[in-house]
Amino acid sequence: MEKKILTKYIDDPNQVNIDTYLSHGGYKAFEKALKEMKPSEVIEEVKKSGVRGRGGAGFPAGVKWGFIPKDNPKPRYLVCNGDESEPGTCKDRVLMESDPHGVVEGMAISSFAIGSHLAFIYIRGEFAYPARMMEKAVEEAYEKGYLGKNILGTGYDLDMIVHTGGGAYICGEESSQLNSIEGERGMSRMRPPFPAVAGLYACPTIVNNVETLAAVPFIINNGGDWYASMGTEKSKGTKLFSLSGHVKNPGHYELEMGTPLSVLINDLGGGMLDGHKLKAIIPGGSSTPMLLPDQIDVKLDYESLAEAGSMLGSGAVIVIDERTCMVWVAERLIHFYRHESCGKCTPCRDGTGWLEQLISRIERGEGQPGDIEKIESLCGNIMGRTVCPLGDAAVMPIESSIKLFRDEWEYHIQNKKCMVKSEFAFK
Amino acid sequence: MSDDSNNINLTIDGQQVSVPRGTTVLEAARSIRIDIPTFCWHPKLKPAGSCRICYVEIEKARTLMVSCATDVAPDMVVHTASEKVLQGRKAVLEFMLMNHPLDCPTCDKGGECDLQNLTFKHGVDDSRFDFKKYRHIRDKNSTFDDLRIGSEIIRNQNRCILCYKCVRANKDIFGEQDLGAYQRGNITEINTPPGEQVDSLYSGNLVEICPVGALTNTDWRYKIRVWNTQTVDSVCSYCADGCNLTLWKDKQKIYRATSRRNDNIDEGWICDVGRYGYQVPMAEDRLTTPLIKKGDSQVPATWEEALGLISEKFKKIKDERGGVCIGGLISPNLDSLSLHTFSKFFRMVLNSNNVDFRAGYKMLPEKADDLYSKLTSLPFKISDIEKSDLILVLDSDLTKEHPIVNLRVRKAVTQKNASLFALNPITTQTGGIATDEMVYNIGTLHALLNGLCISLIDQNLTQYENARDLKNKLSPNTIEEASRISGIDVARINSLAKAITEVKNISLIAGELLTSSINREQLSGAIINLCLLAGIFDKGQVGVLSQAANSKGAEKLAVMPHLSERSILKIKQIWDKYPDNDGLALDQMIRSSIKEELDSMFIIGSNLMLEYPDGAVVKEGLEKLDFLVVADICETETTQIADVVLPLSTWVEYDSSFVNLESVEQKFKAAIKPVGFSLPAYQIINKIAQGFKTPLFETIDELIPEIKTLLQPDDSQNSFENCAIEYIEEKQNPEFEIPLLITNELHHFGYFTEKSNSLSNFCSEAFLEISPGLAEKLDVKNGSIIRVESEVGKINLPVKISEYIDNDVVRAYRNFSASPVNILQMRKRNIDRVKLTVVEGT
Repeated sequence: MEKKILTKYIDDPNQVNIDTYLSHGGYKAFEKALKEMKPSEVIEEVKKSGVRGRGGAGFPAGVKWGFIPKDNPKPRYLVCNGDESEPGTCKDRVLMESDPHGVVEGMAISSFAIGSHLAFIYIRGEFAYPARMMEKAVEEAYEKGYLGKNILGTGYDLDMIVHTGGGAYICGEESSQLNSIEGERGMSRMRPPFPAVAGLYACPTIVNNVETLAAVPFIINNGGDWYASMGTEKSKGTKLFSLSGHVKNPGHYELEMGTPLSVLINDLGGGMLDGHKLKAIIPGGSSTPMLLPDQIDVKLDYESLAEAGSMLGSGAVIVIDERTCMVWVAERLIHFYRHESCGKCTPCRDGTGWLEQLISRIERGEGQPGDIEKIESLCGNIMGRTVCPLGDAAVMPIESSIKLFRDEWEYHIQNKKCMVKSEFAFK
Repeated sequence: MSDDSNNINLTIDGQQVSVPRGTTVLEAARSIRIDIPTFCWHPKLKPAGSCRICYVEIEKARTLMVSCATDVAPDMVVHTASEKVLQGRKAVLEFMLMNHPLDCPTCDKGGECDLQNLTFKHGVDDSRFDFKKYRHIRDKNSTFDDLRIGSEIIRNQNRCILCYKCVRANKDIFGEQDLGAYQRGNITEINTPPGEQVDSLYSGNLVEICPVGALTNTDWRYKIRVWNTQTVDSVCSYCADGCNLTLWKDKQKIYRATSRRNDNIDEGWICDVGRYGYQVPMAEDRLTTPLIKKGDSQVPATWEEALGLISEKFKKIKDERGGVCIGGLISPNLDSLSLHTFSKFFRMVLNSNNVDFRAGYKMLPEKADDLYSKLTSLPFKISDIEKSDLILVLDSDLTKEHPIVNLRVRKAVTQKNASLFALNPITTQTGGIATDEMVYNIGTLHALLNGLCISLIDQNLTQYENARDLKNKLSPNTIEEASRISGIDVARINSLAKAITEVKNISLIAGELLTSSINREQLSGAIINLCLLAGIFDKGQVGVLSQAANSKGAEKLAVMPHLSERSILKIKQIWDKYPDNDGLALDQMIRSSIKEELDSMFIIGSNLMLEYPDGAVVKEGLEKLDFLVVADICETETTQIADVVLPLSTWVEYDSSFVNLESVEQKFKAAIKPVGFSLPAYQIINKIAQGFKTPLFETIDELIPEIKTLLQPDDSQNSFENCAIEYIEEKQNPEFEIPLLITNELHHFGYFTEKSNSLSNFCSEAFLEISPGLAEKLDVKNGSIIRVESEVGKINLPVKISEYIDNDVVRAYRNFSASPVNILQMRKRNIDRVKLTVVEGT
C-alpha cells in the first residue's frame, strides 16, 4: 500500500507555514548537513541512497552532482525543475503547493552539497498557486534565517529565486529551462557540454526535479542506507504516482518502488470507473509507450517497466478503458506535442505537424490507404533524430498505439468511423 | 590510436584522417574534401544542430549524429553516405519541403539556394505530403506573403526553413536584439519585435547567410537571376577596415556586393555601407564629361580642352610664381595608384610639397615626426585583437567608425573572455559589453589618461624606470585632480590601472575623435606615457586607426607635405630628387589662399567645401583662388565653384589597390568600364603631367615597384620617450555652451553615400542627436526642429533623441549635403560649441 514519506503531511493545510513545518521536524536535515557534514559527505549519502531523477530520465542524483568539475572557478547553480508539464503528471505540483518548505529544504541541502550559493526554482507558467506557495516559503525561510547570508551561523550563504516560466512544455527539458531562465527563447541546447560543466550562464549547474530534491532531507535525516532499504535492487525509495483516467479514485499516491501496477489501479485507485473494462495503460506520462491489460501486474520501477516495453517516466499513470478510441487518444497526444514542439529541429518541428494532420484526418474518417504506413515511416524519421527528447516523446505513444491497436486504425480508414462506440469516440 | 595528445585519428568513409582535438566531424570530413551538406551551420557561429541535414553514421552510436556538433573522438569510424545517412537526409529534406512553396521560378535565391541544390542532388522530386501547404499570410491581398522587416530586408516566412542563422548571427555576432523567433513549432516565424526594424549596420549579412530565399535584399530582388551575373573580386572603398567584397555585375551594371571572406580582416561579415556602397558608382548623376567655367556657368568640354587649360594655367603659375603656389588635395578613399601619382606629380613636376589627403582635420601638424605619426606607424592586426586579454578603446565610437574592428572586439569579449574598457565622451554601443565604459567630460581625455598614469605610478604597478620623472611632467598631477576634471571616479581609474597591469596581452585602439582633435599631439603623448608605464608596447598592440579606405596608403605613399627623414630618403631613392621647400598642409593651404599666397588648387575626390571643419574659412579660401581644378564623380559644392571640373571614375571602374588600417595592400579589379568619359585619377594626373612634357608613367607597371618600395614596412624600431602632458581648459563663450560632436552617420561614410538608394533608405537627412535629458529640458520630441547656432554659423536640424548621447553633448552628422554642419565649426576650436533654440510650431 501507500508509503507516505514525502507526502506524509500533505493533507495538513498548515504544512505550508514554516512553524508547522518546523514542528514536524523541518529544516533539521539542513541544519544537520550544515553543522555536522561536509558537502562531500552529503553527496556520498545521496549516492548511497540511490535516489534517481524523478523527472523521468531516472539518472542517479548523487552521481549527477559528482559531475561538477572540481577545478572550475565559476559560480555554481542549482536549478529545481518545477516545470511539470507532461500530460498526466501532477506530483510536483502537490509537493510545491502543499509542502513547499520540503522543496526549499531539499534545494538548500543540495545547494550546500554542490557548493552553490544561488538556487533557482523554475515553475511552469500555469502554476500560479504553487508559485505563490513557493514564494511564501522562500520568504519565510529567509525570515527564519534558513536562507540568506551566514545561515545558522555556519558562514554558508544561499539565495533562492522563484522563477516562473511562460508556459512552454519544452522548458521542462533542462537545457531549454536554462535558456528560459537566462531570458532566451525556450529551446534545447546541444550537448555536450552538459549543464554540470557549462549550464546556466555557462557555469556549472545541476538541474534536479522537485520530487528528487524533496527526498533529500529524508535521506540526510535517516541516512542513505535507510532510503536504499526501500524499493528494488536498482530503483530505490518511494515514488509519487499521478493516477488519472478511467479509475474510480484518481489522484497522487506515494508508493515504494516495485509496487505492482495493479495495486495502484485496483487497490488504491479503486478499480475501473463504472466497471468498464481496462483497455490500455500509459504508465509514465503521456510520452511513454502503452501497456495492455495483461501487463497490469508489472512492478512499478525503472527496470521492470523497461522490460515491459515502456518507461517509468514521471510516474503519471493514465488508465484507458474500453470506451476509448485509440486513434482519438493518438490525435489528442500529437496535438499536444505539435503545439509544444519548440521549432528548433526539423524532424520534430515539421514532423509533428504532418503527423497531426495525418492522424486527425484518420480520426475524422478521411484517412487514406497507406496513411498508417506513412505515419510509421514519419515516426521513424523523427525518433532519435532531434536534439532533445521531445521528438521521441511525440512519436512513442503513436508508435505504440499503432503497434498495439492496429486494427482500430485500419477500421477507421476502411469504415470511416470508430471501432469503439461510446461518447469518447468519433461516430 | 592518436599520434599525439592534440591530434585525433579517425576514419571517414574509409579514409584515415588526423585532425586536432576539438574539431567537429563535419570539419574533419571537409578537410579531406568529403562534402556533408549543411543549412544551420556557419563557420563563425556556434553549432546549433537544428537543421539535421548534416547527419552522419558513426559506428557504435545509437542514432544518426549531426556532424556539425559532434566532436571527433579517437578511432571513430564515420560514414557520410551510407544508406541510413542518405535516408535520414532525404527525410529532413522531405520535412523541409512540406510547407516550402514551389516558387523557385520567382524566388531570387533560385540558382544559389542550398535547399534547391540539395533537393536536386538527392532527387526528392515527389512529396508524400498531400495537405495544403501552410502559409504565413501577412495580408490577404499579398500574393507573395512578403513582409519588410528591415529597411532593406524583405522576409518571406513561407520559404524559411528555420535554421535560425539570422537570429543567431544578429545576436551572437552583431550584439543586436532586433530579430527573433516568434510562435512555436512549425508556425514559428522570424520577425522583429513589434514596432521595430532590423536596421543595424550589419543587417545585410543576415540576408547573405540565409540558405534559402526567406530573406532577400531590396537591391537584388527581381532585378536579375544569379546565373546571368559575373563576379569580380573587389575591396570596400569606404572605411579603413578593408573588407573584401565580391561584386555581382552584368554588363555596365552592378547588382549587389557580398562578402568575400577574409579571416584576417572581416571573417565574412561586411557592414551595410560596404554592402550598398556599390550603388554610389551607379548613381544617375555621375559627371561624364569635363566642364569648364565660362562666365557664371560651367559648360561641357572635351578632355583636350580641359587638360590644355589646366596645363597652361599650372605652367604659368609654376613659371611665374613657383609650383609652391599650387596646392593639392586628394581623397584618401582613392586607390594607391592615384595617390602615388598625385604625390609624384606635385613633387616631380611642380617641384612642390603641397600635397595632402587630410581634408577633415583641424590644425594639422606643421612638421614631420610628430608623436601622432609615430603612434600610427606602429603595427596593428585586426585578427590579433582576439588574442588580447584586455582591450582599451579610446575616443572611438567603433561601431560607426570601424564596424568590422568592432565585430572583432565583440568576438574577443563575448567569445574569448577578453575584458573591454572604453573611454569615450559619449556612451557607445560597443561600450555596452565593456567591463567599464568611462564617459568622461568632453575634451578631457588627456587629463583622464594622466590620472591613469598617476594611478599606475602611485599603486606601484609599473616597471617603467623613469616613472617618478614622468609624474612630474604631468598636469594634472594628482589622481584626484584628474578625476575632478574628467568626471570619472578615482576608484574606476584605479581599477582600470590594476586591470591593465594584470593581463598579458593588450590591444589599445584609438579612433577618429582623437585623430580629429586639435589636441592630437597631447593625446598621443598621453597614450605613449600610458604604454610606457603599463608596458603595452611590449605586451600588445597599439592601433590609432586610420579613417578612410586608403588613409594608411596615403600616409605611406607620402601624400603629406611634411615627411620624416626616412620617407624623404625613400623618395630620393626612387625619384632621385625631392623638392627643396616646405610644403603646406591642407589648412595652411586654405589660409595661404586667404592671404593670396596660394594661387591654385587641384582637388581630387574631395568635397572640401563640406569636409573642412570650418565652413566659413574654407569658402573664403576656395573663392579667393585664381584657378581651382576639381575632379570628382558627381557634382558637389566644391565642383560648383571650380574653374575646371573633371569626371572621375570610381573604384569599381579600374584595377588598383587600397591599403587598409593594418597596412595591408589589397588589390581590387574593375567590375565595369569607366562611366561616360570619366577617367581614373592616376590617368587624369598623368595626362596633365604629359602637358608638362614629363609623363609620370608609360604603363602603370612602372609605378608598381615604386609603390612597393614606399609601402614596405619600416624595419627601424620606433623608440618612445615619455612626454609632458598638460591639460588646459579651453576658453569658451558662455553663450554657446553645448559641445557639438560631428561624425559619420551610422549608415553613411563621407559625403557620397547619400547617392546610394539603400543607404538613403536607412537615413536620408541630417538630424541632431540629443540626450533624453536635454530633450526634456528643451521640451522637444523626435522630429522637432531645432536651430543650432555657433559663434560662426547656424543651421536648422530635426531632433532625434538617443540614449547613447550623454546629457551635455549633442551630435550632428556630416554626410548630408543639404545640411552642411561644418558651417558650425571653427578650425581653431578643439570643441565646437553651440546653443540650441526650438523653432516654434514644430
